[in-house]
Amino acid sequence: MAVAIFLLVIVVGSVIFTFLSPWWFLEIASNWGGIDLTVLITFWVCGVVFVAVGLFMAYSTWKFRHKEGARADYRPENTRLEWGLSIITTIGVVAMLAPGLIVWDDYVRVPDDAQEFEVMAKQWGWAFRFPGEDGKLGTVDVRNINIDNPFGMNSDDPNGADDVLINSNTVHLPVNQPFKALLRSTDVLHDFFVPEFRAKMDAVPGMITYFWFEPTKIGEYEILCAELCGRGHYTMRGEVRIDTAEDFDAWLASQPTWTQMQAGISPKVYSAEGRRGREVADANGCFACHSLDGSQVVGPTWQDFWGSERALTGGETAMADEAYIVESIREPAVKLVEGFAPVMIPYDAETISDADVAALIAFLREETGPEAAPEEAASP
Amino acid sequence: MAEAAAAGHATIIKDWSSDVTTFKGVPWGKAMMWIFLLSDTFIFSIFLTSYMTVRMTTVEPWPNASEVFSLTMFGVPVPLLLIAIMTFDLITSSGTMALAVNYGYRRDKKRAVRYIYLTALFGAIFVGMQVFEWSKLIEEGVRPWGNDWGAAQFGACFFMITGFHGMHVSAGVIYLLIVAHLIKRGRYDNTNYEIVEIVGLYWHFVDLVWVFIFAFFYLW
Amino acid sequence: MAQAEIPYQEALPLHDPHTWIEKYWFSQDHKVIAVQYGITAMAVGLVALVLSQIMRIQIGFPEFGAAIGITPDIYYQSITMHGMIMVIYLLTAFLLGSFGNYLIPLMLGARDMVFPFVNMISYHVYLLSVVVLLLSYFVPGGPTGAGWTLYPPQAILSGTPGVDWGIITMLGSLAIFIVAFTMGGLNYITTILQARTRGMTLMRMPLSVWGIFVATILGLLAFPALFVSAVMMILDKLIHTSFFMPAIASQFDSAASAYDGGSPLLFQHLFWFFGHPEVYIVALPAFGVVSDLLSVHARKNIFGYRMMVWAIVFIGVLSFIVWAHHMYVAGMHPYFGFFFATTTLIIAVPTAIKVYNWTITLWKANIRFTVPMLFAIAFVITFVVGGLTGLFLGNVIVDVPLSDTYFVVAHFHMVMGVSPILVIFGGIYHWYPKITGRMLNDTIGKWHFWITAVGTYLIYFPMHYLGFVGVPRRYYDNVLAAGGESAFYPQSAATLNEWISITAFVVGAAQLLFVYNLVASYWRGRPAGDNPWQATSLEWRTPQTPPVHGNWGEKLPTVHRWAYDFSVPGEKEDFIPQDVPRTEAARS
Repeated sequence: MAVAIFLLVIVVGSVIFTFLSPWWFLEIASNWGGIDLTVLITFWVCGVVFVAVGLFMAYSTWKFRHKEGARADYRPENTRLEWGLSIITTIGVVAMLAPGLIVWDDYVRVPDDAQEFEVMAKQWGWAFRFPGEDGKLGTVDVRNINIDNPFGMNSDDPNGADDVLINSNTVHLPVNQPFKALLRSTDVLHDFFVPEFRAKMDAVPGMITYFWFEPTKIGEYEILCAELCGRGHYTMRGEVRIDTAEDFDAWLASQPTWTQMQAGISPKVYSAEGRRGREVADANGCFACHSLDGSQVVGPTWQDFWGSERALTGGETAMADEAYIVESIREPAVKLVEGFAPVMIPYDAETISDADVAALIAFLREETGPEAAPEEAASP
Repeated sequence: MAEAAAAGHATIIKDWSSDVTTFKGVPWGKAMMWIFLLSDTFIFSIFLTSYMTVRMTTVEPWPNASEVFSLTMFGVPVPLLLIAIMTFDLITSSGTMALAVNYGYRRDKKRAVRYIYLTALFGAIFVGMQVFEWSKLIEEGVRPWGNDWGAAQFGACFFMITGFHGMHVSAGVIYLLIVAHLIKRGRYDNTNYEIVEIVGLYWHFVDLVWVFIFAFFYLW
Repeated sequence: MAQAEIPYQEALPLHDPHTWIEKYWFSQDHKVIAVQYGITAMAVGLVALVLSQIMRIQIGFPEFGAAIGITPDIYYQSITMHGMIMVIYLLTAFLLGSFGNYLIPLMLGARDMVFPFVNMISYHVYLLSVVVLLLSYFVPGGPTGAGWTLYPPQAILSGTPGVDWGIITMLGSLAIFIVAFTMGGLNYITTILQARTRGMTLMRMPLSVWGIFVATILGLLAFPALFVSAVMMILDKLIHTSFFMPAIASQFDSAASAYDGGSPLLFQHLFWFFGHPEVYIVALPAFGVVSDLLSVHARKNIFGYRMMVWAIVFIGVLSFIVWAHHMYVAGMHPYFGFFFATTTLIIAVPTAIKVYNWTITLWKANIRFTVPMLFAIAFVITFVVGGLTGLFLGNVIVDVPLSDTYFVVAHFHMVMGVSPILVIFGGIYHWYPKITGRMLNDTIGKWHFWITAVGTYLIYFPMHYLGFVGVPRRYYDNVLAAGGESAFYPQSAATLNEWISITAFVVGAAQLLFVYNLVASYWRGRPAGDNPWQATSLEWRTPQTPPVHGNWGEKLPTVHRWAYDFSVPGEKEDFIPQDVPRTEAARS
């Protein structure tokens, strides 16, 4: 008896839960209504089967529970019933599969008027590239990547000169314009996923993957990385802002092209020690998480870092001086800047020697201090 | 012909629907060896499939097999000479193995043991030549992580797959020696010497795998 | 021709143990080996259970989790170890190593496995693999945190926890496990094919044996893919070959520049060529065992035996051509989607037939609600949910919004986490009397059942809906980085996660009841007798309970009928064991 009630409660409870649940797809903001439709078809077909099987079991366990003197039926097979059920199941499967494949065909066939843009994923952030006026993206190579060339552009490819580079987690796109997103990754697997768009695709190092979508609703949507990419996976969020075409054009025009970016690299004068510190930072990938221009990536920015007051998790503050830097490299989890996750790995003296740390400190003082004083640092 | 096929078909159904054993008259050890070899086939197939995939997806050019694997004889580079000898050696060992099985079933213990030893000797020679080939390639600068002629995966695949096969041959040689020793000691005197056929199955399998490795590595 | 098989088996000298260590440690008796496998698998499973509680603390109460020191590293290491232990070292090892070892010779009327020595080695190699796996916790850097799928490049690059040694111990342990499994598996298949007793045809075998048989074949053909990829990844890690590693500009790993030209997708194909059959390696024995439990306790023959057998075989074959449905959004050629979606949904048909036949078995039955039966019924309803949600994820376009979300987590826990575990519990309650000669305590068993069955449903059913919202899986923290509320993670979702966590703590704790029951009943349980459930298959017909070494007396039993002669009309008893000869009266 208890079992029959248990089964009944599961069936009825699941149905009620489904109707009362506040958790359902977020309001769609792309052309992929077809995906929602196929999900719904699948949902209803499966739901009906679930209710039918569940109720049948509930009834059977109640009706045919053990009774004194009762005896079960003896019926090893019933070919007609078995084949009948198989055929009904096959029909149900086709009813789900056929629309699914039709929409998938749509998903993999990019329309001719789709514009291309590139999504570059890296641990743990996003960057974007638009093809510029010539409509062609320049070639890239991950081996070219350094602090001055975060996208790994091939400088000798003319197509790349006017590429618009967005080295930030936020990208804008115009509404009602189909886009083909070309995905690449510089290090490990990532996945570009905006729940409101429904679409997603992995970014795989060494190859370019793609998917297409058309934003249909103006607004701001969060980009999630949906493929485990290391200890900072959950911090790898971005934002896509859907604008009107005019707003988008204005925004795009304000972003640097590759040519502008190269011209804008002002060769800053460092002391010998400071220059070496910059090389240390580059070699150890510090700039992956700490920007120099104020943008917040994975870790806190280094803009105006030296000598600043750091607000820490737990309400305390710390002064950004030598001791603080040494501690933050050797034991990063001890003093955590407020709002940031403890994802940085401790670097021991084998990875970054004490001399290298000293160089880094010199670099940080010269680059981010209020008054850079190369002469002073150069003297010893 | 059709009748014979139908009869064969009927026998299969009869055997599979019978009790006790599915494969009539097949000793447990032999059945087990067949199943093991089936599993091992998958290991080698996946090794070779991975090799082909890697070779097709890598961006660097693949080194030219006939140049890499040539042997200089009297000042003339002869492509694939060593490999040809190795292949011949291994196929010969399959022949001697077949003779050993034959003599085993004839209960000619002495000859069976003699041919097993001969097979093991051919196997050992094969491993020796493989050691020679490896050291030659290593001397020429081929490493699992890189080489002078092109894609790094060349060395990686080559050492991994021929190494895995070489381990199979070495294990086979040890297996053959153990079996020969046990036969001499009279361990199998009360049986039909199926053990010779079982070890023979393994040996033929290793030879067969070599043919595929030969085709995929040296002729492609 | 070689030997007249049955007299040969009957006269086969057994390796009789003379010392304690031969009897209980290096035993060659399949029953002892089965118990060894079972205890080891349960012990390591308890470790995985603790890991799941750590995860649930963090997911439900992220602030508390951070306060008690759960870092992202610990979280990712926990999900990895939890997943791998549960799938390989608990489920695979228990269903095949323990149930397989115990049931095959007994149900088929054999003396033992065909090669008891190899069988004994198999267990000890398995033990070694567990030890190497747990060593992960004692090496520098701790266990790997790459997720149980171990996708490269991530799995071997700094930026992921445990890249120093953890990934090596993990891959090494897997390779060792595969060796152990192969030794055991060869034994199971050879025994089933070549060492059945008189009258035991393949189509008279209980479905448990059929499930184990096909699952073992799948294992022998699928594990090679994992073995090969483990070898290649170890080489990539240790000597910088580039099988799976393309050119990489890693921010965290200066050694990454050594790589060039490899293919990360190749690993995924190999992994899932193993990984999908692995699902059925776990599911098929569970299917088989649950069929037997339902039939025995419903006092009715399993409905459509032949269809059930062919469904198992058909599912087994198909499972090799569906692997890429785990990779719809992995960046492989999109046209593969059409093929793999079709093959995947075809599998739904034989699977649905199995579900129908289980439920129809209950129709006009005479159901005794024993503890094993309770677990079997809970399995069916759980499996229905898990199977149906599989249709979402198998249908390529429906998978696109749902993959990598909590929908996937809920689905696979339902279908290959909870379902087979329920069967394992049911099986233990069912066969414990045969293994020990004593019944498990019924009251504790019912408590254990209700908490587990209701609890797991409450945990995993609502979790699907988090997936619809878009909550991604494998997130250490959903709000922290965004600094507040996110569209994809509303406050209500956080509340739901708290409730799921609390339920998970209760269910986790309830498993201690089960462990207590197992231990206490060994001494204090009610004596069971030879056939407490009045079942028909051969394992209940041994001359002694628990069966002694060699299982049967002088002569092996002779089988005269299938394993499901329950409630045969015109018979006095409502069950006729398989070794009872057919009489005129029995023919109706």
